Amino acid sequence: MEKGGGVVVPGDFLGTSEEFTLGKGVYGEEGNLYASQIGTINITDKRAIEVLPAVETPPVLKEGDVVIGRIEDLRDNVALVSIACVEGKEKREIAASTQAVIRISNVRKGFVNDLQQEFGYLDVVKAKVLDAKALRLSTEERDLGVLKAMCTKCKGRLKRKGDVLMCEKCKRVEPRKMSEDYGKGVV
Amino acid sequence: MKEEIELIKDGKRLDGRGFDELRPIKIEVGVLKRADGSCYLELGNNKVIAAVYGPREMHPRHAQDAKMAVVKFRYNMAPFSTDDRKRPGPDRRSVEISKVCREAFDPVIMRELYPKMGIDVYVELLQSDAGTRTAGINAASIALADAGIPMKDLVSSIAVGKIGGEMVLDLNAAEDNNGEADMPIAMIARTNTITALQMDGRMTQEEFGRGLKLAMGACHQIYELQRAALVTRYNQNYESKREEE
Repeated sequence: MEKGGGVVVPGDFLGTSEEFTLGKGVYGEEGNLYASQIGTINITDKRAIEVLPAVETPPVLKEGDVVIGRIEDLRDNVALVSIACVEGKEKREIAASTQAVIRISNVRKGFVNDLQQEFGYLDVVKAKVLDAKALRLSTEERDLGVLKAMCTKCKGRLKRKGDVLMCEKCKRVEPRKMSEDYGKGVV
Repeated sequence: MKEEIELIKDGKRLDGRGFDELRPIKIEVGVLKRADGSCYLELGNNKVIAAVYGPREMHPRHAQDAKMAVVKFRYNMAPFSTDDRKRPGPDRRSVEISKVCREAFDPVIMRELYPKMGIDVYVELLQSDAGTRTAGINAASIALADAGIPMKDLVSSIAVGKIGGEMVLDLNAAEDNNGEADMPIAMIARTNTITALQMDGRMTQEEFGRGLKLAMGACHQIYELQRAALVTRYNQNYESKREEE
Protein backbone atom coordinates (compact mmCIF):
# COMPACT_ATOMS: atom_id res chain seq x y z
CA MET A 1 0.00 0.00 0.00
CA GLU A 2 1.43 3.32 -1.08
CA LYS A 3 1.04 6.87 0.19
CA GLY A 4 0.70 6.10 3.87
CA GLY A 5 -0.94 9.04 5.61
CA GLY A 6 -1.90 12.18 3.81
CA VAL A 7 -4.66 12.72 1.31
CA VAL A 8 -5.53 10.63 -1.74
CA VAL A 9 -7.32 11.94 -4.84
CA PRO A 10 -9.57 10.08 -7.28
CA GLY A 11 -7.60 7.52 -9.23
CA ASP A 12 -4.92 6.90 -6.62
CA PHE A 13 -3.96 3.25 -6.34
CA LEU A 14 -4.75 1.81 -2.90
CA GLY A 15 -4.04 -1.89 -3.14
CA THR A 16 -5.18 -5.07 -4.80
CA SER A 17 -8.50 -6.78 -4.34
CA GLU A 18 -6.70 -9.70 -2.68
CA GLU A 19 -5.40 -7.42 0.05
CA PHE A 20 -8.61 -5.62 1.01
CA THR A 21 -12.32 -5.67 0.50
CA LEU A 22 -14.12 -2.73 -1.00
CA GLY A 23 -15.19 0.10 1.29
CA LYS A 24 -16.69 3.53 0.78
CA GLY A 25 -15.00 5.92 -1.57
CA VAL A 26 -13.15 3.08 -3.30
CA TYR A 27 -13.78 1.31 -6.58
CA GLY A 28 -12.28 -1.83 -8.06
CA GLU A 29 -11.05 -2.28 -11.58
CA GLU A 30 -9.06 -5.16 -13.06
CA GLY A 31 -8.13 -6.52 -9.66
CA ASN A 32 -6.90 -3.19 -8.30
CA LEU A 33 -8.51 -0.83 -5.83
CA TYR A 34 -8.51 2.91 -6.44
CA ALA A 35 -9.83 5.93 -4.58
CA SER A 36 -12.94 7.55 -6.02
CA GLN A 37 -12.94 10.64 -3.82
CA ILE A 38 -10.57 12.95 -1.98
CA GLY A 39 -9.85 11.86 1.55
CA THR A 40 -7.71 9.79 3.87
CA ILE A 41 -7.24 6.05 3.86
CA ASN A 42 -8.77 3.95 6.60
CA ILE A 43 -8.69 0.19 7.06
CA THR A 44 -11.55 -1.26 9.07
CA ASP A 45 -11.32 -4.21 11.40
CA LYS A 46 -12.91 -6.34 8.68
CA ARG A 47 -10.01 -5.50 6.40
CA ALA A 48 -12.08 -3.23 4.19
CA ILE A 49 -10.22 -0.27 2.79
CA GLU A 50 -12.16 2.95 2.63
CA VAL A 51 -11.49 6.59 1.94
CA LEU A 52 -12.82 8.91 4.63
CA PRO A 53 -13.85 12.00 2.68
CA ALA A 54 -12.02 15.28 3.18
CA VAL A 55 -14.58 17.07 1.02
CA GLU A 56 -18.30 17.33 1.54
CA THR A 57 -19.78 14.43 -0.36
CA PRO A 58 -23.34 14.18 -1.70
CA PRO A 59 -25.51 13.22 1.29
CA VAL A 60 -27.06 9.76 1.32
CA LEU A 61 -29.75 8.97 3.87
CA LYS A 62 -28.93 6.62 6.72
CA GLU A 63 -31.05 5.20 9.50
CA GLY A 64 -31.16 7.69 12.35
CA ASP A 65 -30.59 10.78 10.21
CA VAL A 66 -32.73 13.78 11.04
CA VAL A 67 -34.26 15.30 7.91
CA ILE A 68 -36.32 18.33 7.00
CA GLY A 69 -39.15 17.89 4.54
CA ARG A 70 -42.54 19.08 3.47
CA ILE A 71 -45.85 17.27 3.66
CA GLU A 72 -46.92 16.64 0.09
CA ASP A 73 -50.03 14.56 0.69
CA LEU A 74 -52.10 13.31 3.59
CA ARG A 75 -53.83 9.95 3.41
CA ASP A 76 -55.76 8.12 6.10
CA ASN A 77 -52.76 6.22 7.39
CA VAL A 78 -49.67 7.88 5.91
CA ALA A 79 -48.31 11.33 5.29
CA LEU A 80 -46.17 11.65 2.16
CA VAL A 81 -43.11 13.81 2.72
CA SER A 82 -40.72 15.32 0.22
CA ILE A 83 -37.33 15.51 1.93
CA ALA A 84 -35.38 18.70 1.33
CA CYS A 85 -32.16 18.15 3.27
CA VAL A 86 -30.39 16.30 6.04
CA GLU A 87 -29.66 17.98 9.36
CA GLY A 88 -26.01 19.03 9.42
CA LYS A 89 -25.73 18.82 5.62
CA GLU A 90 -28.15 21.54 4.63
CA LYS A 91 -25.91 22.87 1.89
CA ARG A 92 -26.20 19.82 -0.34
CA GLU A 93 -29.23 18.28 -1.97
CA ILE A 94 -29.91 14.63 -1.26
CA ALA A 95 -28.54 12.50 -4.06
CA ALA A 96 -31.33 9.94 -4.16
CA SER A 97 -35.10 9.64 -4.03
CA THR A 98 -36.61 12.11 -1.59
CA GLN A 99 -40.16 10.72 -1.39
CA ALA A 100 -40.69 9.46 2.15
CA VAL A 101 -43.64 8.47 4.34
CA ILE A 102 -44.63 9.00 7.94
CA ARG A 103 -46.98 6.28 9.09
CA ILE A 104 -49.73 7.08 11.53
CA SER A 105 -48.15 4.73 14.06
CA ASN A 106 -44.87 6.70 13.95
CA VAL A 107 -46.31 10.14 14.62
CA ARG A 108 -46.61 10.08 18.41
CA LYS A 109 -45.81 7.69 21.21
CA GLY A 110 -49.50 7.42 21.97
CA PHE A 111 -52.46 6.48 19.85
CA VAL A 112 -53.25 8.68 16.87
CA ASN A 113 -56.76 8.55 15.53
CA ASP A 114 -56.73 11.16 12.77
CA LEU A 115 -53.63 12.13 10.81
CA GLN A 116 -55.25 15.42 9.80
CA GLN A 117 -55.00 16.47 13.43
CA GLU A 118 -51.23 15.99 13.45
CA PHE A 119 -50.03 17.40 10.13
CA GLY A 120 -51.34 19.80 7.54
CA TYR A 121 -50.80 19.88 3.82
CA LEU A 122 -47.53 21.71 2.94
CA ASP A 123 -46.33 21.79 6.55
CA VAL A 124 -42.56 21.79 7.01
CA VAL A 125 -41.60 18.91 9.30
CA LYS A 126 -38.53 17.58 11.01
CA ALA A 127 -38.37 13.80 11.20
CA LYS A 128 -36.00 10.94 11.81
CA VAL A 129 -35.26 8.19 9.31
CA LEU A 130 -36.38 4.76 10.51
CA ASP A 131 -35.63 2.86 7.33
CA ALA A 132 -33.29 4.33 4.73
CA LYS A 133 -34.39 1.90 2.03
CA ALA A 134 -38.15 2.28 2.32
CA LEU A 135 -37.74 5.89 3.51
CA ARG A 136 -39.97 5.56 6.53
CA LEU A 137 -39.80 8.49 8.94
CA SER A 138 -40.77 9.02 12.54
CA THR A 139 -41.78 12.15 14.47
CA GLU A 140 -42.23 10.54 17.89
CA GLU A 141 -39.55 12.47 19.74
CA ARG A 142 -40.04 15.87 21.30
CA ASP A 143 -37.81 17.78 18.93
CA LEU A 144 -39.42 16.19 15.88
CA GLY A 145 -42.62 17.29 14.22
CA VAL A 146 -43.95 20.35 12.47
CA LEU A 147 -41.63 23.35 12.23
CA LYS A 148 -43.85 25.65 10.20
CA ALA A 149 -47.49 25.54 9.22
CA MET A 150 -50.06 27.65 7.41
CA CYS A 151 -53.67 28.27 8.29
CA THR A 152 -56.00 26.09 6.27
CA LYS A 153 -58.58 28.88 6.18
CA CYS A 154 -56.67 32.01 5.18
CA LYS A 155 -53.14 30.66 4.50
CA GLY A 156 -51.71 32.94 7.15
CA ARG A 157 -48.87 31.92 9.41
CA LEU A 158 -49.76 29.79 12.41
CA LYS A 159 -48.16 30.83 15.67
CA ARG A 160 -47.63 28.59 18.65
CA LYS A 161 -49.91 29.13 21.63
CA GLY A 162 -49.22 26.54 24.27
CA ASP A 163 -50.05 23.16 22.79
CA VAL A 164 -51.88 24.43 19.74
CA LEU A 165 -51.29 26.74 16.81
CA MET A 166 -53.28 29.91 16.28
CA CYS A 167 -53.53 31.89 13.09
CA GLU A 168 -52.28 35.44 13.44
CA LYS A 169 -54.83 36.77 10.99
CA CYS A 170 -58.11 34.92 11.41
CA LYS A 171 -57.51 33.50 14.92
CA ARG A 172 -58.32 29.96 13.83
CA VAL A 173 -56.86 27.33 16.13
CA GLU A 174 -55.36 24.13 14.72
CA PRO A 175 -53.72 21.16 16.42
CA ARG A 176 -50.38 19.76 15.21
CA LYS A 177 -47.68 17.37 16.29
CA MET A 178 -45.27 20.20 16.94
CA SER A 179 -41.54 20.12 17.19
CA GLU A 180 -39.94 21.77 20.19
CA ASP A 181 -38.34 24.12 17.67
CA TYR A 182 -41.58 25.22 16.07
CA GLY A 183 -41.29 28.74 14.65
CA LYS A 184 -37.68 29.25 15.70
CA GLY A 185 -36.24 28.95 12.23
CA VAL A 186 -33.53 26.62 13.44
CA VAL A 187 -33.05 22.96 12.64
CA MET B 1 -1.15 37.18 -49.01
CA LYS B 2 -1.06 38.14 -45.39
CA GLU B 3 2.15 39.11 -43.74
CA GLU B 4 4.14 36.14 -42.51
CA ILE B 5 4.88 36.31 -38.80
CA GLU B 6 7.98 34.58 -37.63
CA LEU B 7 6.79 32.34 -34.80
CA ILE B 8 10.09 30.62 -34.06
CA LYS B 9 13.33 32.47 -33.55
CA ASP B 10 16.56 30.74 -32.58
CA GLY B 11 14.65 27.71 -31.35
CA LYS B 12 12.47 29.84 -29.08
CA ARG B 13 8.86 30.85 -29.46
CA LEU B 14 7.49 34.38 -29.36
CA ASP B 15 7.10 34.27 -25.59
CA GLY B 16 10.47 32.65 -25.05
CA ARG B 17 9.29 29.09 -24.45
CA GLY B 18 10.87 26.00 -25.88
CA PHE B 19 8.87 23.63 -28.05
CA ASP B 20 7.79 21.37 -25.20
CA GLU B 21 7.16 23.97 -22.50
CA LEU B 22 3.85 24.75 -20.87
CA ARG B 23 2.61 28.23 -20.13
CA PRO B 24 2.46 29.06 -16.39
CA ILE B 25 -0.43 27.36 -14.59
CA LYS B 26 -2.06 28.47 -11.36
CA ILE B 27 -4.81 26.48 -9.60
CA GLU B 28 -7.06 27.41 -6.68
CA VAL B 29 -9.56 24.92 -5.27
CA GLY B 30 -12.86 25.77 -3.62
CA VAL B 31 -13.21 29.42 -4.61
CA LEU B 32 -17.01 29.64 -4.84
CA LYS B 33 -19.18 29.58 -1.75
CA ARG B 34 -22.48 28.60 -3.32
CA ALA B 35 -21.14 25.86 -5.59
CA ASP B 36 -20.74 22.30 -4.35
CA GLY B 37 -17.30 22.21 -5.94
CA SER B 38 -15.28 24.89 -7.67
CA CYS B 39 -11.91 25.77 -9.08
CA TYR B 40 -10.15 28.83 -10.45
CA LEU B 41 -7.41 28.11 -12.96
CA GLU B 42 -4.99 30.19 -14.97
CA LEU B 43 -3.23 28.77 -18.01
CA GLY B 44 -1.04 31.42 -19.55
CA ASN B 45 -3.38 34.34 -20.18
CA ASN B 46 -6.48 32.18 -19.76
CA LYS B 47 -8.50 32.77 -16.62
CA VAL B 48 -11.24 30.25 -16.05
CA ILE B 49 -13.58 29.45 -13.19
CA ALA B 50 -15.48 26.17 -12.91
CA ALA B 51 -18.45 25.37 -10.67
CA VAL B 52 -20.14 22.04 -10.02
CA TYR B 53 -23.63 21.58 -8.60
CA GLY B 54 -25.20 18.28 -7.71
CA PRO B 55 -26.02 15.49 -7.77
CA ARG B 56 -29.36 17.20 -7.53
CA GLU B 57 -32.91 16.76 -8.70
CA MET B 58 -33.23 16.87 -12.45
CA HIS B 59 -35.61 19.35 -14.06
CA PRO B 60 -37.43 18.71 -16.35
CA ARG B 61 -38.31 15.18 -15.43
CA HIS B 62 -38.27 13.83 -18.96
CA ALA B 63 -34.54 14.50 -19.09
CA GLN B 64 -33.93 12.10 -16.21
CA ASP B 65 -32.15 8.82 -16.77
CA ALA B 66 -33.57 6.07 -14.61
CA LYS B 67 -30.24 4.25 -14.40
CA MET B 68 -27.63 6.95 -13.95
CA ALA B 69 -27.01 10.62 -13.42
CA VAL B 70 -27.15 13.01 -16.35
CA VAL B 71 -24.15 15.31 -16.64
CA LYS B 72 -24.65 18.74 -18.13
CA PHE B 73 -21.70 20.88 -19.10
CA ARG B 74 -21.87 24.54 -20.03
CA TYR B 75 -18.81 26.28 -21.40
CA ASN B 76 -19.25 30.03 -21.69
CA MET B 77 -17.03 32.99 -22.45
CA ALA B 78 -17.73 36.26 -20.68
CA PRO B 79 -18.27 39.21 -23.04
CA PHE B 80 -15.15 40.92 -21.71
CA SER B 81 -12.96 37.85 -22.01
CA THR B 82 -11.97 38.45 -25.62
CA ASP B 83 -10.15 41.26 -27.41
CA ASP B 84 -13.34 42.33 -29.16
CA ARG B 85 -16.38 42.24 -26.95
CA LYS B 86 -18.26 39.00 -27.46
CA ARG B 87 -22.03 39.04 -27.58
CA PRO B 88 -23.26 37.17 -24.49
CA GLY B 89 -25.09 33.89 -24.88
CA PRO B 90 -24.36 30.56 -26.50
CA ASP B 91 -23.01 30.27 -30.01
CA ARG B 92 -22.09 27.35 -32.21
CA ARG B 93 -18.55 27.19 -30.89
CA SER B 94 -19.49 27.14 -27.21
CA VAL B 95 -22.18 24.52 -27.82
CA GLU B 96 -19.63 22.30 -29.54
CA ILE B 97 -17.06 22.79 -26.81
CA SER B 98 -19.67 22.07 -24.13
CA LYS B 99 -20.49 18.77 -25.83
CA VAL B 100 -16.89 17.70 -26.28
CA CYS B 101 -16.00 18.65 -22.70
CA ARG B 102 -18.98 16.80 -21.28
CA GLU B 103 -17.97 13.69 -23.16
CA ALA B 104 -14.42 14.03 -21.87
CA PHE B 105 -15.79 13.32 -18.39
CA ASP B 106 -18.10 10.44 -19.30
CA PRO B 107 -15.46 7.75 -18.65
CA VAL B 108 -14.55 9.07 -15.20
CA ILE B 109 -17.72 10.24 -13.44
CA MET B 110 -19.35 7.28 -11.70
CA ARG B 111 -22.83 8.23 -12.87
CA GLU B 112 -24.47 4.90 -12.07
CA LEU B 113 -24.32 5.73 -8.36
CA TYR B 114 -26.93 8.49 -8.70
CA PRO B 115 -29.88 7.40 -10.85
CA LYS B 116 -32.35 10.10 -11.88
CA MET B 117 -30.06 12.89 -10.68
CA GLY B 118 -28.41 15.76 -12.53
CA ILE B 119 -24.82 16.94 -12.21
CA ASP B 120 -24.25 20.42 -13.61
CA VAL B 121 -20.82 21.71 -14.52
CA TYR B 122 -20.39 25.37 -15.42
CA VAL B 123 -17.16 26.69 -16.88
CA GLU B 124 -16.84 30.43 -17.31
CA LEU B 125 -13.93 32.03 -19.17
CA LEU B 126 -13.02 35.33 -17.57
CA GLN B 127 -10.08 35.98 -19.84
CA SER B 128 -9.29 33.98 -22.94
CA ASP B 129 -6.19 33.18 -24.90
CA ALA B 130 -5.59 30.03 -26.90
CA GLY B 131 -6.38 26.78 -25.14
CA THR B 132 -9.57 27.86 -23.38
CA ARG B 133 -11.24 24.49 -23.63
CA THR B 134 -8.23 22.68 -22.23
CA ALA B 135 -8.12 25.11 -19.32
CA GLY B 136 -11.83 24.52 -18.83
CA ILE B 137 -11.45 20.75 -18.70
CA ASN B 138 -8.59 21.01 -16.20
CA ALA B 139 -10.62 23.31 -13.97
CA ALA B 140 -13.79 21.23 -14.25
CA SER B 141 -11.90 18.09 -13.29
CA ILE B 142 -10.73 19.67 -10.06
CA ALA B 143 -14.15 21.16 -9.36
CA LEU B 144 -15.79 17.75 -9.72
CA ALA B 145 -13.34 16.22 -7.26
CA ASP B 146 -13.89 19.17 -4.92
CA ALA B 147 -17.64 18.49 -5.04
CA GLY B 148 -17.05 15.00 -3.71
CA ILE B 149 -18.56 13.37 -6.78
CA PRO B 150 -17.15 9.86 -7.13
CA MET B 151 -14.69 9.75 -10.02
CA LYS B 152 -12.41 7.09 -11.37
CA ASP B 153 -9.65 9.57 -12.06
CA LEU B 154 -8.87 13.17 -12.84
CA VAL B 155 -8.91 14.35 -16.47
CA SER B 156 -6.05 16.47 -17.75
CA SER B 157 -6.08 18.42 -20.97
CA ILE B 158 -3.61 20.29 -23.15
CA ALA B 159 -3.29 21.36 -26.76
CA VAL B 160 -0.42 20.81 -29.16
CA GLY B 161 0.01 22.55 -32.45
CA LYS B 162 2.20 23.08 -35.44
CA ILE B 163 3.96 26.36 -36.12
CA GLY B 164 6.64 26.96 -38.68
CA GLY B 165 6.65 23.27 -39.50
CA GLU B 166 7.43 22.27 -35.89
CA MET B 167 5.21 20.46 -33.39
CA VAL B 168 4.97 22.55 -30.23
CA LEU B 169 3.14 22.29 -26.95
CA ASP B 170 0.44 24.56 -25.52
CA LEU B 171 -0.19 27.13 -28.24
CA ASN B 172 -0.77 30.75 -27.35
CA ALA B 173 -3.05 33.06 -29.29
CA ALA B 174 -0.51 34.26 -31.86
CA GLU B 175 0.59 30.70 -32.56
CA ASP B 176 -2.99 29.49 -32.79
CA ASN B 177 -3.97 32.23 -35.22
CA ASN B 178 -0.90 32.04 -37.41
CA GLY B 179 0.13 28.42 -37.08
CA GLU B 180 -0.65 25.45 -39.28
CA ALA B 181 -2.53 23.17 -36.88
CA ASP B 182 -4.09 22.99 -33.43
CA MET B 183 -4.94 19.79 -31.57
CA PRO B 184 -6.53 19.83 -28.10
CA ILE B 185 -6.36 16.52 -26.23
CA ALA B 186 -7.89 15.44 -22.92
CA MET B 187 -6.84 12.25 -21.23
CA ILE B 188 -6.61 10.25 -18.05
CA ALA B 189 -2.95 10.58 -17.23
CA ARG B 190 -2.63 7.43 -15.12
CA THR B 191 -3.86 5.08 -17.84
CA ASN B 192 -3.05 7.23 -20.91
CA THR B 193 -6.68 6.96 -21.97
CA ILE B 194 -7.76 9.69 -24.37
CA THR B 195 -11.20 11.08 -23.52
CA ALA B 196 -11.32 13.96 -25.99
CA LEU B 197 -9.34 14.69 -29.14
CA GLN B 198 -9.90 17.37 -31.74
CA MET B 199 -7.73 18.70 -34.52
CA ASP B 200 -7.85 21.59 -36.93
CA GLY B 201 -5.30 22.34 -39.64
CA ARG B 202 -2.83 20.26 -41.61
CA MET B 203 -0.64 17.54 -40.16
CA THR B 204 1.09 14.48 -41.45
CA GLN B 205 0.51 11.19 -39.69
CA GLU B 206 4.03 11.26 -38.31
CA GLU B 207 3.52 14.77 -36.95
CA PHE B 208 0.26 13.65 -35.39
CA GLY B 209 2.12 10.89 -33.56
CA ARG B 210 4.75 13.30 -32.30
CA GLY B 211 2.07 15.73 -31.17
CA LEU B 212 0.27 13.00 -29.28
CA LYS B 213 3.46 12.05 -27.49
CA LEU B 214 4.08 15.68 -26.56
CA ALA B 215 0.53 16.00 -25.24
CA MET B 216 0.79 12.83 -23.18
CA GLY B 217 3.91 14.04 -21.45
CA ALA B 218 2.30 17.39 -20.76
CA CYS B 219 -0.88 15.80 -19.42
CA HIS B 220 1.21 13.97 -16.85
CA GLN B 221 2.72 17.28 -15.79
CA ILE B 222 -0.70 18.89 -15.52
CA TYR B 223 -2.04 15.90 -13.61
CA GLU B 224 0.69 16.37 -11.02
CA LEU B 225 -0.25 20.04 -10.71
CA GLN B 226 -3.94 19.17 -10.34
CA ARG B 227 -3.18 16.53 -7.77
CA ALA B 228 -0.87 18.83 -5.84
CA ALA B 229 -3.53 21.55 -5.72
CA LEU B 230 -6.11 19.15 -4.28
CA VAL B 231 -3.72 17.50 -1.84
CA THR B 232 -2.39 20.84 -0.63
CA ARG B 233 -5.88 22.15 -0.06
CA TYR B 234 -7.24 19.09 1.72
CA ASN B 235 -4.17 18.18 3.69
CA GLN B 236 -4.73 21.46 5.48
CA ASN B 237 -8.35 20.51 6.15
CA TYR B 238 -7.29 17.06 7.29
CA GLU B 239 -4.60 18.26 9.67
CA SER B 240 -6.79 20.96 11.18
CA LYS B 241 -9.54 18.38 11.70
CA ARG B 242 -7.09 16.04 13.38
CA GLU B 243 -5.99 18.79 15.75
CA GLU B 244 -9.61 19.38 16.72
CA GLU B 245 -10.10 15.72 17.69
